[in-house]
Amino acid sequence: MNLGISALRYVEEVKNGSFTIEEFISKTVEQIKKHDGKLHAYLSFDDHVIEQARNLDRKIANKEKIGSCFGMPISIKDNICVKGGKTTCASKMLENFVAPYDATVVLKLKSEDVIIIGKTNLDEFAMGISTEFSAYGTSHNPWNTDYVPGGSSGGSAVSVSAFECIASLGSDTGGSVRNPASFCSVVGFKPTYGLISRYGLISYANSIEQIGPLTRTVEDTAFFLNIISGFDPNDDTTIDNKNEDYLSNIDAGVEGKKIGIIKEMVGQGTDKEVVSATNNAIKKFEELGAKIEEISLDMIDYSVASYYTITSTEAGSNLARYDNLRYGYDFPLEGYEFNSYISKARKNFGPEVTRRMILGGFVPSAGYAGKYFLKALKVKKKLTDEINEAFKKIDFLIAPTVPVLPFKIGEKIDDPVALFLLDFNTVIANLTGKPAISVPFEISNGLPIGIQLIANSMQDKPLLQAAYALQNTVKLPEVPI
Amino acid sequence: MTKIGLEIHCQLTNLESKLFCSCKANYRGFEPNANICPVCIGLPGSLPRLNKKAVEKATMIAMSLNCNTPDKLAFFRKNYFYPDLPKNFQITQLNVYGEHSIGQNGTILVDDKEIRIRRIQLEEDPGRLIYEGISEKTQITLVDYNRAGTPLVEIVTEPDFENERQVRLFLNILSDLLDNLDVSNPSLEGAMRADGNISIEGGNKVEIKNVNSFHDLEKALHFEITRQESLISRDIPIEQETRHWDDKRKITVSARIKEGEEDYRYFLEGDIPWITIDSQTLNKLKADMPESISSKKERYITKQIPAQVAEVLSSDKFCSDLFELAHNESNAIVIANLITTDLMGLVDTDEKREKSKLTHQHLTDLANSIETKEITRTSAKTALQECVATGLPVSEIISTLDLGHISDESELNKIIDEIFIQEPNTVEQTKTNPETINYLIGKVMEKTKGKADPTLTLNIINKKLS
Amino acid sequence: MVSKEEIENVAKLMRIELDDHIVHVDRVQKMIEYFDILDKASVESEEFDVQEKSITKLREDKYIPYDEKLIEALKNYKENYVRAPKMV
Ligand SMILES: [Zn+2]
Repeated sequence: MNLGISALRYVEEVKNGSFTIEEFISKTVEQIKKHDGKLHAYLSFDDHVIEQARNLDRKIANKEKIGSCFGMPISIKDNICVKGGKTTCASKMLENFVAPYDATVVLKLKSEDVIIIGKTNLDEFAMGISTEFSAYGTSHNPWNTDYVPGGSSGGSAVSVSAFECIASLGSDTGGSVRNPASFCSVVGFKPTYGLISRYGLISYANSIEQIGPLTRTVEDTAFFLNIISGFDPNDDTTIDNKNEDYLSNIDAGVEGKKIGIIKEMVGQGTDKEVVSATNNAIKKFEELGAKIEEISLDMIDYSVASYYTITSTEAGSNLARYDNLRYGYDFPLEGYEFNSYISKARKNFGPEVTRRMILGGFVPSAGYAGKYFLKALKVKKKLTDEINEAFKKIDFLIAPTVPVLPFKIGEKIDDPVALFLLDFNTVIANLTGKPAISVPFEISNGLPIGIQLIANSMQDKPLLQAAYALQNTVKLPEVPI
Repeated sequence: MTKIGLEIHCQLTNLESKLFCSCKANYRGFEPNANICPVCIGLPGSLPRLNKKAVEKATMIAMSLNCNTPDKLAFFRKNYFYPDLPKNFQITQLNVYGEHSIGQNGTILVDDKEIRIRRIQLEEDPGRLIYEGISEKTQITLVDYNRAGTPLVEIVTEPDFENERQVRLFLNILSDLLDNLDVSNPSLEGAMRADGNISIEGGNKVEIKNVNSFHDLEKALHFEITRQESLISRDIPIEQETRHWDDKRKITVSARIKEGEEDYRYFLEGDIPWITIDSQTLNKLKADMPESISSKKERYITKQIPAQVAEVLSSDKFCSDLFELAHNESNAIVIANLITTDLMGLVDTDEKREKSKLTHQHLTDLANSIETKEITRTSAKTALQECVATGLPVSEIISTLDLGHISDESELNKIIDEIFIQEPNTVEQTKTNPETINYLIGKVMEKTKGKADPTLTLNIINKKLS
Repeated sequence: MVSKEEIENVAKLMRIELDDHIVHVDRVQKMIEYFDILDKASVESEEFDVQEKSITKLREDKYIPYDEKLIEALKNYKENYVRAPKMV
């Protein structure tokens, strides 16, 4: 039994009896026991997964109908609510928070009979790109455990790439799904804003973030998108996708499609191995019959500053509710006045979250909003106009997902601006609401490189078709664990 | 010259659900924290879901205050920390990116003076704080979130009021208007609150907050005017500040808000898209608007109802609703009189109105009985009381209480003979002073509990005297 | 450049007590310095990019009681209340 199979393959094998769900789940649990001590993908586990597997096996034996996921083991980023268990956001602030409800995506997956193995590690409240800002310790990259797995959905990417589950759900505010997917050599997808319900996703920057799957293959992403996308009455920002089938015609190819390369994304500041991989990917697309042209976006130099200004402002507001009064951790309030109590209680935020809170108080403040926050919103608008203009002429944009190779744990954590700039290639999709995907493409000296494709709003299906075409041009080595 | 502006908060108590979740809009009567859900308590991961009817009803309020209503609504976050605010921000509206609040630039006539409405906005009410303990040291704060998320309409006026009297008239007109629109029950405790700002000649603007009722607002304004006038007379400058109304001491006290502390960092609420209101929806709302109080009054006057009665009747929705169903062209005046002179006194509280078993049919039947002289106007009052209390049919009430007219001549003859024996002096006086006949009629009515046919009684008395 | 005092003041307004000033104040200062790049962006438009939704698609006004005793899942005091520190 191979734990590294795709979701689609898993379903086939369970259907034709190659193995039982219980066998697969037990072996997955063993794999976790063996490796997660070192990798630290998970923050918590469901203790009843074997029972759930047995129940489903029994249903299959009795010829009862079960959901389309057939007990597939998946993991969920720990900023997405799963009823009854802890949802910590990798923060000390929420160390005892038990969600009394399921996120919409979790409900949808449960109704298709997934088995949720556990909740995965992240940078505290999803603010970071390495998991080093988790309050519960960093995750390690399975390709080389001295290296970061990327972030903020680092635990999710590790769990998929190290065969500790078949797929995972992460959240992507500025690349948080695509970045770790690239660093761990898995597929990571951020849909059009509003395509997937955010109900139950603990907000960081709600106006631009989306939940997205991390999977082994592009087809698996399409499979999960079919389950979790679409209008949700609990989220007023969701859009009706008319039950689009993202899996059908996934092999449509890219012949005749126009692909734009954003020239600012393969220039200064990009590792030479990453530039070379991107050029190889472009070549592959040309061989498949696509036309490539170079494009430039005026606002792109301001995108990272705009992104951090907007996300800090929203985070400052979204995280204001953590005052430790209604839920949180043990900290008696006797002897304190309201403001001094919550100011003390909120010291439980880690250093990065604290910094973002301060930024979030500063950039929209009465004296500075014009210089920072409102300016950032205008950049966002103009960037969107520019990219919409580009999509009149081209079908997709191509760029490396991350400008650099995975880096060593501890290497960049002390330089905030250097960390900001690693988001350069990914934030554009969030600021403009466009769908984007990272496809594993090369392994350079044992470290993965992913290629990012971006499409116009609601063009998620053609985007997956292009990603599928690119994926099939390469055969990558197995993860060395 | 004194200038007063108001900020009125009005809960849409007649809605079913809260502004952003399905908990009950009218939170009264629940155990503490029993009317809450993940959304209104701001649990991590929950999202607001805007109530369609709240937008519609608030738009109706804006239209009846002659405001412009925009084709796109925007919601904002007002960020500040307070224990009654579960998310530590309030979702509200603001006009910084153009006019996208529920309504703006309206006017309303108050005693022939035009009061301008600056803005109307839709927002969520916070929870409620309860303080326990006597001294400051032992004091603890308890929070009940049942009210959190109740739909609130804030009406902001320009500083157009010149005195407390205009304020009081305006607030009365406004509560009648909200009642008439069936959006709110202004008599519920806390359903309507108002803050004010006030400046007098030569002084800065002072905001008055923390006022819990209209009654208190009047007192607070009165206190403030006197305080400010006294300062001015002693040449002490009036500072621009916010003052709180101290309910116990009945005075205003400085809120001492430090510079820089009131930065609410307003920005767009990303969880709620901009709401587009198409002209079709707007037209439908206009068509569905209940008839305005002034138009009702005009209509009643055309039915020959005296202006005074028409005014009272039209501004009370409970009563005018009954009137509409009960009256026809011939009995309108009788029914209007029954309602305004008798019924209003019988049902002068919400509680009594809720308990009342009276239907419009009762009023129609009573008017009929009066017209056909089956009962007297005096008996009708007794019957009305019985209708309210029991809800029994008018005919049954008339017969069980024996309220029918005495129009049997021999019976009346007998009664009048008795009175003539008891009142020889009065009978004598009638020869010089015909007015005293009324006294005799009164005696007959007293004896018959108002059931005697007045015309017949007069005829008999006249006959006997002549 | 934004002064450290300003940053400390904002931290106070955001209700976070700071003790490690190098980790917080110095780095925040660097971050804000980076944001100054926005000064160079030539954006004149006053418009913002917003999502829209028709009033007809909003939630219907219906009372649906939440089916759990939610207060029991929260920190509670005297069973039914949430407790806050004293207000001064
Ligand atoms: Zn609720």
